[in-house]
Amino acid sequence: MSPEQTNLLQGTLDVMILKALALDEMHGLGISRRIEQITKGTFHVKPGSLFPALHRMEEAGWLSSSWGESENNRRAKYYKLTKAGRRQMENETQRWGRISLAITRALEAS
Amino acid sequence: MPFLSRLSSLSRHFFQRQQREKELDEELRSVLELLTEQKMREGMSLEEARRAAKVELGGIEQVKESVREARTGAWLDTLGRDVRYGLRTLRKNPGFTATAVITLALGIGATTAIFSFLDAWLIKPLPYPQPDRLLVLLSHNEKQGWTSHGVTSNADFLDFQKQSTSFEQLAGWTQRDFSVTGGGPPVLVDGGQVTWNYFQTLAAEPLLGRTFTPEEDAPGAPHVAVISEGLWRSRFAGDPAIIGKDIAIGDEPYSVVGVMRGTFQFPLMGVANLWTPLALSEKERADHGSSSFMLFGRLKPGVTRAQAAAETAAIFAEYAKQYPQTNTNVTTLLSPMAVEIQSEEGAEEIAICLCVTGLILLIACVNVATLTLAKASRRVRELAVRGAFGATRQRLVRQLLTESLLLFLFGAATGTLFGLWGMRWIENAIPAHIRGYIVNYGHVSMDLTTLAFTLGITLVCGVAFGLVPAFGNSRIDINSVLKSASAQGSASRGHARLRRVFVSSEIGLAVVVLIVATLLVKSFVISMLASPGFNPAGVMTAQLELPATGYADDARLRNFADAVLGRLRVLPGVASAGVASGLPFGGFGRSVEIEAVGKPAPRPGEGLRSHFTAVSPDYLPTMEIELLKGREFTSADSSASAPVALINQTMARQLWPDEEPVGQELRFGDQHVVCTIVGVTSDIKMNSPREPPEPQMYVPLAQFPSQTLGFVARTATGNSKPTATAIRDAIWAVDSDQPISSVEQLDTLMAVVDTGNRILAELMLFFGVLATLLGAIGIFGVMAQTVAQRTREIGIRAALGAGPGRAMFSVLADGLRLTAIGVLVGIVVAFAAGRALASLLYGVAPNDSATFVGVPAVFALVAMLACWIPARRAMRVDPMVALRHE
Repeated sequence: MSPEQTNLLQGTLDVMILKALALDEMHGLGISRRIEQITKGTFHVKPGSLFPALHRMEEAGWLSSSWGESENNRRAKYYKLTKAGRRQMENETQRWGRISLAITRALEAS
Repeated sequence: MPFLSRLSSLSRHFFQRQQREKELDEELRSVLELLTEQKMREGMSLEEARRAAKVELGGIEQVKESVREARTGAWLDTLGRDVRYGLRTLRKNPGFTATAVITLALGIGATTAIFSFLDAWLIKPLPYPQPDRLLVLLSHNEKQGWTSHGVTSNADFLDFQKQSTSFEQLAGWTQRDFSVTGGGPPVLVDGGQVTWNYFQTLAAEPLLGRTFTPEEDAPGAPHVAVISEGLWRSRFAGDPAIIGKDIAIGDEPYSVVGVMRGTFQFPLMGVANLWTPLALSEKERADHGSSSFMLFGRLKPGVTRAQAAAETAAIFAEYAKQYPQTNTNVTTLLSPMAVEIQSEEGAEEIAICLCVTGLILLIACVNVATLTLAKASRRVRELAVRGAFGATRQRLVRQLLTESLLLFLFGAATGTLFGLWGMRWIENAIPAHIRGYIVNYGHVSMDLTTLAFTLGITLVCGVAFGLVPAFGNSRIDINSVLKSASAQGSASRGHARLRRVFVSSEIGLAVVVLIVATLLVKSFVISMLASPGFNPAGVMTAQLELPATGYADDARLRNFADAVLGRLRVLPGVASAGVASGLPFGGFGRSVEIEAVGKPAPRPGEGLRSHFTAVSPDYLPTMEIELLKGREFTSADSSASAPVALINQTMARQLWPDEEPVGQELRFGDQHVVCTIVGVTSDIKMNSPREPPEPQMYVPLAQFPSQTLGFVARTATGNSKPTATAIRDAIWAVDSDQPISSVEQLDTLMAVVDTGNRILAELMLFFGVLATLLGAIGIFGVMAQTVAQRTREIGIRAALGAGPGRAMFSVLADGLRLTAIGVLVGIVVAFAAGRALASLLYGVAPNDSATFVGVPAVFALVAMLACWIPARRAMRVDPMVALRHE
């Protein structure tokens, strides 16, 4: 991991995954790449964290999965948001908004 | 997550496990391939790309494991696997498993058994509605420092009943035996005389009929009785029409008005199967001098104990002014009924036993933790391999913890069986009539509370003592262990230190238990060996109470005693026989107020009381009570001659410290009888082997006939003693309707009185042996382990020329060091414990030097023996074998 990359904050992984899947369905590796991309390389998700999270969120009913063909015609497991997942994403987004605002204020306060 | 969704994933988890495992496998494989392709596109060769992909993924097995753990129900799965694996490990080490399970079973069993008594006797509320509102009234003389049940006098009670506003009801009771005749052989039935509201105050409902009415609790009222369900069934065959029928009590008819349920019990009274109204006479009601019954009351709702106590104290302070002769310095205290019952039940003894079993449980736990550590250092490699295959540290800890908990649960299951056996043993050691004084007749059962307690301590100890070795082991460095050629691994050094701490603390705990046990056992032995002042060996006793109806005048009482004595003397084997109004350790004690004639009268509230016993001339010689001065009674001391008395040393010392007591005059009792002292006897124990000497006076039975009689018959040495039947027949030959309270050997009577102390001593003996054994197992295990680990080192030393004695010496010295540390800590703790025990000790100081030196010395010896076997093994190490040892 390069020095600029940061480990995901506790609890942020779920919301990252939800966000990554907001537009389209994706396979595990894609989700990992997408998170790196949308955070401009700040966050790097290790497979050891990503896959347990995916399976846990699928069980929670936020994601659904199906087998499909990858870009190179390889079989891969694709994840997409369910309705519950979308709701969860909205909740989480709002929550993070509040938190990040609060933290920013706290850090700027003198 | 919504509950239903969680539930469905849980069920999916179990029903589609294989399917899901396959999918997970495929998914990760496809990810690996995608990664590889990606790397190849970036210009790597196939080989390089594959390697890089694997590195980035970070181990397929490890990812799989973390996915599995993230799933709902994973914990159940893991638990199942951990348990299966744990069971397999335990089965593979039968020696270890058996030692650990038995050790734990002893500790848990002992604690469970003692706790069941604590729970049944001391924690469970009394079996009456709102028992916390029941208070017992106690007289307390602050100046003289005594407290007794009941209040100052009958009249005070009746006045108090009218004046007090705190109580819903105030009831009085006194213990009494009734001789029930007619419809079978005469039997003596334990019971009591009670005020009419006795049952109401306890809120006890009868099974049949009713309880007493106020009209029945008055002099001259028709005779009525309430009987117990037990008596109803046994004596009256459960006659459904018993209510209203007459039964013969002491030759008089009493009409049965009610039958109490078998579950009804009033432990302060002891076993009771028959109750009649107290029905105080007018004279008794007006008595301001003495009280003839004990009291308790039920507080009104909303009144606190403090309020009631304040009011009671104020009322009795007023009585003290009105009746200075009897009430000076005496106040009345209110004590919760549960507390009074518990003090009879031996709350303190039970608490001490529980502390001791707690220590033993700790020893057992430390023992098992030590064994686990020893075993674990041989498992380091296995754990490292499991770590390499993706088991997280958390998983390893959980696995080791599961094993420990399994051990503890097996221990608890076996321990519960031990506990059950121990409970029965203790219960059966309590004589039936003593059980009457204990809640629920002393019955204990392995109920839910006890089982919950057992499970609780098992889990707490299992987790606490499982975590130590588990964490110690999970912190291993996989690489160094796998690289190391040794099977022992590198975790051993930390383990060894921990094990030594364990063993020292274990020895310390064992020393504490052993010292406490020794102090208590020694107390018991000293009290048993102390002479009671008479010789109980070979003496048979028979106690009875003559009914007032058939024996109304003194001549009849005298004739009965003489006639029975005449028959007892000629029984085969009997050397001498005597009779007294009450026997030591018997039930018929009497005491009187005494005063030396010609000395200033004692100030109010400071009068001296003395045991009072009327005896036949041959009673004192038969009991072998020593006459120190003057003469014994003779047949010349009769109703026609002047009253005489013998007094004991203690009374002589207290009343005539500087004068010759023989020839002095003594005034005693309510009638202020004056008698001349003709002799001084040695002191004897009257009620307990542990009591301090108290004033005692003897008078001739011929001058002071008694309805209560205790016969004693001493067997000539070498002769077999007369049977109980022969003695009963001798009495029944004189009066065939006379019930007999008891026919027992004198030493049996004494043993029964000391039951509590005997049980305590026996338990302590057992606990002491147990603690020694567990301590010895602990130190043996550790020393054996140490020697096994040092085999290589010892071998090298031997090869370099160190003599075999040297190896043995170093092992012994090591063991001695561990023992010494433990023993020293143990002694310090035991000093504090000894002080807490002080009130239970007799003839032994809480810091008894013999105990505090002897016990550690004996324990050190045991520890040395336990080290001896491993030390000898060390001595025999063959360098050639040792160097190849791996």
